[in-house]
Amino acid sequence: MDDEATIRNRENLVSTREDAAHLREDSATLREDSATLREDSATLREDSAHLREGTVQAREGETHIREQTVAKRERKIREAETSKAASDDQMIRLQQVNARLVTATIEAKTLAEQVQAAKDQLDHLAHHDMLTDLPNRVLLQDRLGQAIDLASRQGKQLAVMFMDLDRFKHINDSLGHVVGDHLLQSVAQRLVGCVRHSDTVSRQGGDEFVLLLPYIEHAEDAALSAQKIIAMLAPPHRIDAHDLHISISIGISIYPDDGKDAETLLTSADIAMFHAKESGRNNYKFFEKEMTAQAVERQFIESGLRRALARQEFLLHYQPKINLCSGAIVGVEALIRWQHPERGLLLPAEFVPIAEDCGLILPIGRWVLREACLQARAWQDAGLPPITIAVNTSALEFRARDFLKDMRAILEETRLEPRYLVLELTESVLMRDAESTDAVLHALAYLGVKLAVDDFGTGYSSLSYLSKFPIDTLKIDQSFINRMGSSPNDASIVRAMISLGKNLKQRVLAEGIETQEQNAFLLAQQCDEGQGDYFSHPVVAMEIARLLTNGIPEGLSNNPG
Amino acid sequence: METTDQLRHQLIERLMARHTEKVAYAAIGLWEPLATQVVSLVGEEGFNSLYARSAFVAQSKFPWLAAHSLSPQTDLRFAELKTSLEGQIAAQARAANNLLLTTVTDILAALIGEQLTAGILRSAWGDDASYSASKEFKNE
Repeated sequence: MDDEATIRNRENLVSTREDAAHLREDSATLREDSATLREDSATLREDSAHLREGTVQAREGETHIREQTVAKRERKIREAETSKAASDDQMIRLQQVNARLVTATIEAKTLAEQVQAAKDQLDHLAHHDMLTDLPNRVLLQDRLGQAIDLASRQGKQLAVMFMDLDRFKHINDSLGHVVGDHLLQSVAQRLVGCVRHSDTVSRQGGDEFVLLLPYIEHAEDAALSAQKIIAMLAPPHRIDAHDLHISISIGISIYPDDGKDAETLLTSADIAMFHAKESGRNNYKFFEKEMTAQAVERQFIESGLRRALARQEFLLHYQPKINLCSGAIVGVEALIRWQHPERGLLLPAEFVPIAEDCGLILPIGRWVLREACLQARAWQDAGLPPITIAVNTSALEFRARDFLKDMRAILEETRLEPRYLVLELTESVLMRDAESTDAVLHALAYLGVKLAVDDFGTGYSSLSYLSKFPIDTLKIDQSFINRMGSSPNDASIVRAMISLGKNLKQRVLAEGIETQEQNAFLLAQQCDEGQGDYFSHPVVAMEIARLLTNGIPEGLSNNPG
Repeated sequence: METTDQLRHQLIERLMARHTEKVAYAAIGLWEPLATQVVSLVGEEGFNSLYARSAFVAQSKFPWLAAHSLSPQTDLRFAELKTSLEGQIAAQARAANNLLLTTVTDILAALIGEQLTAGILRSAWGDDASYSASKEFKNE
């Protein structure tokens, strides 16, 4: 057992030794392994260190890349921001540019419209009358021309009416231009109100209107239209607190009978209108061929009158005024004559009415006044006995704005004392607008100028005004003197007029004494003065000087001595 | 055949006709989006010029529109117009606003063409505001 145990122990020992050897071997191996492992571990650690370095480097690389990316992004953001700001600026600029373009375009359009409106207005002004806004003569000519063309093609008639307000000048002169203008506007409205839409009412100027009726079947249609116009104008026009009555005279011409062109038709209507005036006004007349000759005559006189002043074709004759009691020449009446180059010496009746109608009476009247004053002064300067010189004064002159001013200037220029000047005015001149007349008459009287009522008895006089006005002399119209021998009534009227003058403390002068009988009658009635062919025709200045020197021939005066 | 501008006028009339009451409110409801669109293109100054011109044209028929101007404040731009429209009877207010809008869009169309105007109106007033401008397209 022991052996066995020893053996087993030996064996065990051997085994243990073997084991220990193995163990030693193992240990050595392990040591080797351990060394290897240590070496490996060192290698690994080195590797690891390398790796770590690599990782660090990689991280550094990533960081760098990220930094680059961030920088890039930031750059991009900055670029985007810059770009957006630029875009916004651009948008604002575009809006501003658009705004300017819109504004400029609209302003240009507005300006163009204003220019067009101004052109339209100018065109309107060129074709319309400023006061009444009616078509003017330019537009009328155009429409009349068109109407004639149409009527000619269709073989129809048309009518032209030339209309002139009656005595419009008197309203203008007495109430002023403002009232006159308002009256013209009122008349224009009424005219427009009584014609058809297709008709043309135009204002030619002044108080003249022309109506074109482009479509008429018969001349009677125009007559009906004229009657309607006359009726429409009849009611008073309420102008600035005045109820003004105005009538109209109408001349009518018909195409093609009275003219085939605009000018002839207008002239024909104008001529017919004058005949309507001469026939008492406030009516109408159709043109007739015979009227032309009279119109031509009138035109001849009018155009001659316009040249007469410049050519010094006017002259004055003087008719003495005699003191019936003493037979002495106490004054003369200056009477205009026209030495016509073709027709010889013309009397006032042949041209004064025309001069009044066309307004030439104003310069002619001034010439007469100046010439008369110069002559009166010349007689005085020649040592002849001082006498008064009478000048006829028309309504137009008397109402003229500068009448008094001109009067003073002429008296001053000619050095004639005002007391030697007599203005002869008719009753109609004196009594129209008596208030303003009174003021002018008193101004004249204050100046020292004498006043006489011419053609007394033929017009209308208010005895109240007659006594109130500063009148020196009543001149009994020659028609009464002419008839008093044959008509007891006229003789009675003459007596009454002389008596009236005496009672009003006015001198009385009888006009148109032609016979000894008339002279005797007037002397018996204690008429102060006389004038007429019985004593002397109107004569030239030199003859007056002779009469003033020698006196009226014996037998004509009542007291030659 | 109706022209494009007639169609546009009809569109404005149709849009305004929807409102028998509160016309002023409806009018401003059309003006504000239109102003936004137009201002984005031509600025405040440009829109004011357009409006002022339209008011000038419309005043011949509706004198009470004459003195109106746009407020410099965007949110109060049409305050005066609204007040004056409210001062009128509905029919008058609608007619006046129709004329104003019609004139503004007429001018716009004259300036930039019918096609662009149609686009602006569609943007302002929605698809309801579509109208044909094909004829003009061919001509442009």
